[in-house]
Amino acid sequence: MALGAKGTLFVGNRLRDEVMAVVDRGDHREVKHIAKGLAAPNGVAFGNGTLYVAERERIIRFDDIENQLDEPPQPSVVLDGLPQQPSHFWKFLTLGPDGWLYFNQGAPFNIGLPNYIQATILRVNPATGILETYAQGVRQSVGSAFHPVTQQLWFTDNGRDWLGDDLPSDELNHAVAKGQHFGYPFCHQGDIVDPEFGIFRSCAEFTPPDVKLGPHVAALGMRFYTGDMFPAEYKNNIINAEHGSWNRTQKSGYNLTRVELGPAGNVLKSEVFMSGVLQGDDFWARLVDVLVMSDGALLVSDDWNGVIYRISYQKA
Amino acid sequence: MAPAVVFAYLNTAHAHDAEAGRQEAKEACAGCHGPDGNSQLPTVPSLAGQLPRYLILALYQFRSGHRKSEQMTPSAAELSDEDLGNLAAYYAAQKPAPPARSTDEQKTAAARQLAEADHCTQCHGPDLTGQEHVPRLAGQHFEYLEQQLRGFRAATRGDIDGNMTSAAEPLSDSDIDLLAEYISDLSTP
Repeated sequence: MALGAKGTLFVGNRLRDEVMAVVDRGDHREVKHIAKGLAAPNGVAFGNGTLYVAERERIIRFDDIENQLDEPPQPSVVLDGLPQQPSHFWKFLTLGPDGWLYFNQGAPFNIGLPNYIQATILRVNPATGILETYAQGVRQSVGSAFHPVTQQLWFTDNGRDWLGDDLPSDELNHAVAKGQHFGYPFCHQGDIVDPEFGIFRSCAEFTPPDVKLGPHVAALGMRFYTGDMFPAEYKNNIINAEHGSWNRTQKSGYNLTRVELGPAGNVLKSEVFMSGVLQGDDFWARLVDVLVMSDGALLVSDDWNGVIYRISYQKA
Repeated sequence: MAPAVVFAYLNTAHAHDAEAGRQEAKEACAGCHGPDGNSQLPTVPSLAGQLPRYLILALYQFRSGHRKSEQMTPSAAELSDEDLGNLAAYYAAQKPAPPARSTDEQKTAAARQLAEADHCTQCHGPDLTGQEHVPRLAGQHFEYLEQQLRGFRAATRGDIDGNMTSAAEPLSDSDIDLLAEYISDLSTP
């Protein structure tokens, strides 16, 4: 999800071919179909009047979109030619404070040796079209955001499958600079060498996660809570959506997790912000992304029901 | 992981019309898939007793072009969202026929090990009867299963998110035959 300057909510989609815009009319909301025929247009980001959309192999832009919602323009291409791969091709898009677009290029499989541009976080300068590798060793990150104060990129990463129910954990990481390696496929969760690819390597070589979010929870979209609606102690905390597990004997995840950070961006603690989607071994939703609205309410998207929820706070 | 709008449809309190599904199936599907969803043609899958979410997903993918088939692409083209739900409700309620083949004990043991080692059971369930939108495989036609596994391995079979392509990649021809034989022989509890 992404929020336009005029309050338009833009919604990407992993499996449908379209991007939608939700306009709040006060007493009702209208859903507009901005673009159709796209390939896994999962990632959306907004800046300076422009909507950016990340498809499976390219990033496109819709300029001045909020003034043309009913007759949207044809998009122009920011970047094309990203790897064709059967898996982990869907992208999460974040516009950085530096004006670059940051996105994931996942590993094209569960576990293996990715090529030079896969299992990474990449960034492209929309003005020049220049692409750079920002971080490596990131198996599949479908959630990222810049810390409002430190301006560092924080991101979730989905851990590999088939090492059992309890390992490895999904990760929350942050990059202090371009060029770090976060472990995949050699080291998982900062302290497990991969049984096949980690032979002769040590996890000491790589950047460990800030938080282990739990095995197979499928940690996806995340934001820093920058609103004023929630109590003050939520300021600049991370809220992260979990899609929930498939590859686990007993299901895990399906929550919203809150990570509290100190002023220097150091992790203080991590806890469940919202639970109840998982009831025993049954679930009724699969959460994908969160977004802070201008009034401080928190939106949460759910691709199991095709619904966006709104969480608000009211002092009792 | 599922198309949002399709499951929005399924998960609301909307009751699908299995009777309407039966009518639609009689006209449009029974010719290949059999009068009660048990196919007599080995390369055409049986649908009886299949999980409804998987049926909706498969029809959606044929209709949207995510999955391509000479037979199913035109068949699915005219289906409305309502049809998807009704057909799924009808076929899910049909009784699957007992498996026709029988495998020898040794092969069964080897295949069961392979199904665990390759993590088939993790998503498809311990008896390969499926869960949520992951299809039930138990008792499906040998030839159809073989065809799908080869298709996944060749990355030609439409795959939602690459899991099956990944899973099929390390399989040898004999692995595929062994698995397909074992799965087609699994009787339905």
